Amino acid sequence: MDTFRYPHLPSELSTVHIALFTNVTNSAALRARIVRASQLEGPDGDAEREAVNFAFIDARLICSRLHLQTAIYQAILAQAQGSLRTKTVHSEILWALNPTNNITEAIRRYGVADATTSLIVVRIASPDLNDVQQRMNAVVEGTLTPLDQLAQITDWASVKKYYKLNSEPALKELAKDPVRERLYVDEIVTSSVAMKSVMA
Amino acid sequence: MPGRVKKRSPLKAPERPYIAIGLEGSANKLGVGIIKHSPDGSVDVLSNVRHTYITPPGEGFLPRDTAQHHREWALTIINDAVSKAGVSLHDVDCICFTKGPGMGAPLVSVALVARTLSLLYNKPLVGVNHCVGHIEMGREITGAQNPVVLYVSGGNTQVIAYSQQCYRIFGETLDIAVGNCLDRFARVINLSNDPSPGYNIEQEAKKGKRLLPLPYTTKGMDISLSGILTSTEAYTTDKRFRPNGPSAEDGEDIITPQDLCFSLQEHVFAMLVEITERAMAHIGSKEVLIVGGVGCNERLQEMMGVMASERGGKVFATDERYCIDNGIMIAQAGLLSYRMGYETPLAKSTCTQRFRTDQVHVAWRA
Amino acid sequence: MSSQSRSATMALLEHAETISQGAEAKIYRGRLHPSSSSEGPDAPPVLFKYRFHKQYRHPTLDVSLTKSRVAGEARALIKCLRSGVNVPGIRMVDAAEGVIGIEWIEGKSIRFLLGGGAEDEEVVVDDSDDTVEEEASPAEDPLQEYGLTKDAVMLMIGKEIAKMHKADIIHGDLTTSNMMLRHPSSLKGLQLVLIDFGLSYTSTLVEDKAVDLYVLERAFASTHPQSEPLFAAVLTAYEREMGKDWAAISRRLDDVRLRGRKRSMVG
Repeated sequence: MDTFRYPHLPSELSTVHIALFTNVTNSAALRARIVRASQLEGPDGDAEREAVNFAFIDARLICSRLHLQTAIYQAILAQAQGSLRTKTVHSEILWALNPTNNITEAIRRYGVADATTSLIVVRIASPDLNDVQQRMNAVVEGTLTPLDQLAQITDWASVKKYYKLNSEPALKELAKDPVRERLYVDEIVTSSVAMKSVMA
Repeated sequence: MPGRVKKRSPLKAPERPYIAIGLEGSANKLGVGIIKHSPDGSVDVLSNVRHTYITPPGEGFLPRDTAQHHREWALTIINDAVSKAGVSLHDVDCICFTKGPGMGAPLVSVALVARTLSLLYNKPLVGVNHCVGHIEMGREITGAQNPVVLYVSGGNTQVIAYSQQCYRIFGETLDIAVGNCLDRFARVINLSNDPSPGYNIEQEAKKGKRLLPLPYTTKGMDISLSGILTSTEAYTTDKRFRPNGPSAEDGEDIITPQDLCFSLQEHVFAMLVEITERAMAHIGSKEVLIVGGVGCNERLQEMMGVMASERGGKVFATDERYCIDNGIMIAQAGLLSYRMGYETPLAKSTCTQRFRTDQVHVAWRA
Repeated sequence: MSSQSRSATMALLEHAETISQGAEAKIYRGRLHPSSSSEGPDAPPVLFKYRFHKQYRHPTLDVSLTKSRVAGEARALIKCLRSGVNVPGIRMVDAAEGVIGIEWIEGKSIRFLLGGGAEDEEVVVDDSDDTVEEEASPAEDPLQEYGLTKDAVMLMIGKEIAKMHKADIIHGDLTTSNMMLRHPSSLKGLQLVLIDFGLSYTSTLVEDKAVDLYVLERAFASTHPQSEPLFAAVLTAYEREMGKDWAAISRRLDDVRLRGRKRSMVG
């Protein structure tokens, strides 16, 4: 797990924990648990919501660490300015990642699905929150993997499809050079996430 | 230019006093002014007389009627100017007139008067660019050395700066002039044309409270104003518009003519200040001079002042005697070029409706 | 800086290094993402462009204008990226505060690389927002480091502008200060990058594209002596990339040259 501290952000949003899990085996159960937690009432509901108080992101759709951090940062900014478009800062990350304004679509595409095997788990918190790793381990069954392994997981075809990049002039020239092509796809996607709040 | 060696002015101090009369009639003002340049370098306004052709509310001035007005008043105004100045037309060195730009018929009628005087008194003619007249008079009155000039009037909207014996236009309107925009809106809401529609807009704007969204169209150092006029007009057909002010049962969400004047001014003037600032940054000047009829507007002067002081600079503006079209500015610019040896032969004393500021060779500046 | 509750973005800029201040914006170099607790290299620096408040404008107008300009610049950049025009990537947008964070380009401005130190009398203070310039050392050609001839650079410029115009983006302020060469050692390799889209807009008009080229031609003439052959090379590459659309733009460029940037209308 990686932890990033942003001293200029409001304290309760200043610490970002990111973990990459591969070989995840409990995606279907996890997804069901998240849905159930959102519906539970009373103290049990609160406890259950806290247990899954993370952003769960399909790692196949993330191009780079910067791509992920950009979405997280814009979500935190929205939270700090009181301009969230979704319910929580964690769901806001999924919204930021998706090229359209459709929240359901964002969660369906970028969130955890029954077949997900590579999962990025993000927690935005105050610096006082301890044992984040244990909390993550408690809900995800999989192999904790260094974040720089992301490059091997990215499903470039899906990224290009969601961002409608296949017909763009930028990529036509690069079709023969996959390394450069990925660099450009990452740049376009990361930049799109960064400017999503002013997209149109 | 800051940090640069000051070049010597090519204009030599006059060896004797020079006197010029200026005739201006490019739009609905007929102006006659007499100016004196003395050997000690001082400049005296001997007289500056003006008569304005005022049309009823809701109406603009048409070229034919305006020319008629100028013809009717020419002798009266000239006599008035000459007697106030205490000089005879035999004493003047040259007769300056507006060559352009402006409305054709009024320009021609005044040029005809100038030609007649030239032949009667055997004095040389000097054709003057109206915009250069504004700039030179503004510099003279305010003492601004090398300002960026915002020239805003009924027919012109330009950001100008001097460079290599030419007043270069850095930015301008891509469609209608700012004065035209304000005047036309004044007509839409039936404001009086007395003393001028722009003045009445300014007074109404002071009572406006609500800033309504309007297009803001700067393009580099240029601006476009026709869209904002259309959008402001469109509010007058809005259900919330109250041409006679709010009635007792109206809530907060209404639009008054005062709000529209306020919103129009705030938007248009912000655009003008912005392009002026861009030009100042571009050439590195800290001075700004506002000339032209719209330059009288105190809100525009105030906004420009805030911008200039943020840049550590200063705004120069003149009052209505010199801002609004007048004869003295034609005399001033004309006499400057006359002293550099420039005359307009009778055969070339025509007028031109299109006469760009940057077409004039500014021989009298370094 | 306002004394009321500091926003996150303003706090970020306080720790960034000021690079330049233009008429409308202040430019900073700073870091957006901290390095990780466990591993990984430092994140590269980010260029922040802060459109500060203008006191002369009505506050409501000022806020909405700043927002729309930040948005406009971001949209122009993303459109360029999608069209394969080399421009800096976007790293963050805070429209409420008037701040856009973009990729820091490791490299030098074309103005610097062409030795355009000598500014003519019109350009005393450079207002271009993104200029980062060092003093030219007259002894050696700074282009050597990039393994390029001046002509090769000109061809790159022409091609990049043509790609931008094919995407119907008008830069609005093309100067040699608003172009950079990305250093060959950087991740994306040697590139000509167009920067500062603060005055850009979308247009399909031949007139706007011709004026865009004319503005650059004037900028070449005023900053780089004997620039005619250089600019000719720019147009050669532009023509090659534009293809059939070149003829109309070329004709219009001739018109624009005759009359200057401004139309002859006054009235």
